[in-house]
Amino acid sequence: MSILRGFLILVLFFLLGESLRLVFLVPISGGILGLMLLTLYLMVTGGVGNAVAGASQALISVLILLIMPGLTEIFFISGKFTGQWLAVSVSLLVGTFLSVVTTLVLLNVLARKLPSGSSNHE
Amino acid sequence: MTEPDLNRIWVYLSASPLLGLTMTLVAYSLAHRLYLRSGLNPLLNPVVTSVTALILFLLATDTSYDDYFDGAQFVHFLLGPATVALAIPLYQQFNKLKQVWLPVTVALVTGVVVGAFSSVAIARLLGASLETQLSLAPKSVTAPVGMAISEQIGGLPSLTAALVVVTGIIGAVIGSKLFDLMGIRDDSVKGIAMGMTSHGIGTARAFQVSAQMGAFSGLAMALSAFLYSVFLPWLLSITGVLG
Repeated sequence: MSILRGFLILVLFFLLGESLRLVFLVPISGGILGLMLLTLYLMVTGGVGNAVAGASQALISVLILLIMPGLTEIFFISGKFTGQWLAVSVSLLVGTFLSVVTTLVLLNVLARKLPSGSSNHE
Repeated sequence: MTEPDLNRIWVYLSASPLLGLTMTLVAYSLAHRLYLRSGLNPLLNPVVTSVTALILFLLATDTSYDDYFDGAQFVHFLLGPATVALAIPLYQQFNKLKQVWLPVTVALVTGVVVGAFSSVAIARLLGASLETQLSLAPKSVTAPVGMAISEQIGGLPSLTAALVVVTGIIGAVIGSKLFDLMGIRDDSVKGIAMGMTSHGIGTARAFQVSAQMGAFSGLAMALSAFLYSVFLPWLLSITGVLG
């Protein structure tokens, strides 16, 4: 029963996010607005109830299952991307590489004070 | 049972949503088991194996994607509540952020901007369509959030999901080599880079290295999902990518 109550809270925040998106025409999806509202709510109330924690854990542990139907579609519409795979692969590899290197370099410069077990002196 | 009987049952079942739903669950549990048996080998990530199995099944039975989705939509719909559910780990990670928020936020915001724009720019330069460019922009965000962003900015959520998975696996596989190459030894720095790029897949990998690397990876993943969803639509529109 408690998982069901947690699920109800998640669905209510989803509904709230979706309504906000439609009312204020925000370019952010209802699910993400719901995520932000729930985070805010947790910060204000200062704790996570067992019911929400349980329902959230149950859903997050099967995220892969939840994205499967959407992912499967890619195979059936791959005709749409004929001739674009090279662009996609290069962009993915180079873009990812650049963003990781930027972050690492910045962190090395800025984050001498990150709390760590391992030290940072080279 | 005679053959025409079996045929009739198949015709009936393949037209009902029950089959698509069952196949999704079966493919997932088989893939998940294989992954556990392999000792969590990132190359046997259950996303790849389960979707491959599912596609092979649909091809073998000549089932169209639309018929399949009639059943699978019940699973697909849960992505919405699951996105909201990410608030719980995000909230829990925020406590860790208090001590390190400035360097981490600066590094992540820069990483997000560089990652999103270089990907869009390179794809555009090499002649990809606008839809493909937009699908590439949120490729480093955890799948449910990335798919939602993609839909919102005019990309293809299914393409984004595939790119998210590929980015996650590449990051998890080559991440540690890159750290060695750049002489990065601090586990918290490694974790942040891993979570920002490779979201959940990278975080799972980071936890195998050390608890500290895993925790920082989870933090970076949550924070970058937040940054991407707030700033990406806005950044794309002020830079003119979105007309």
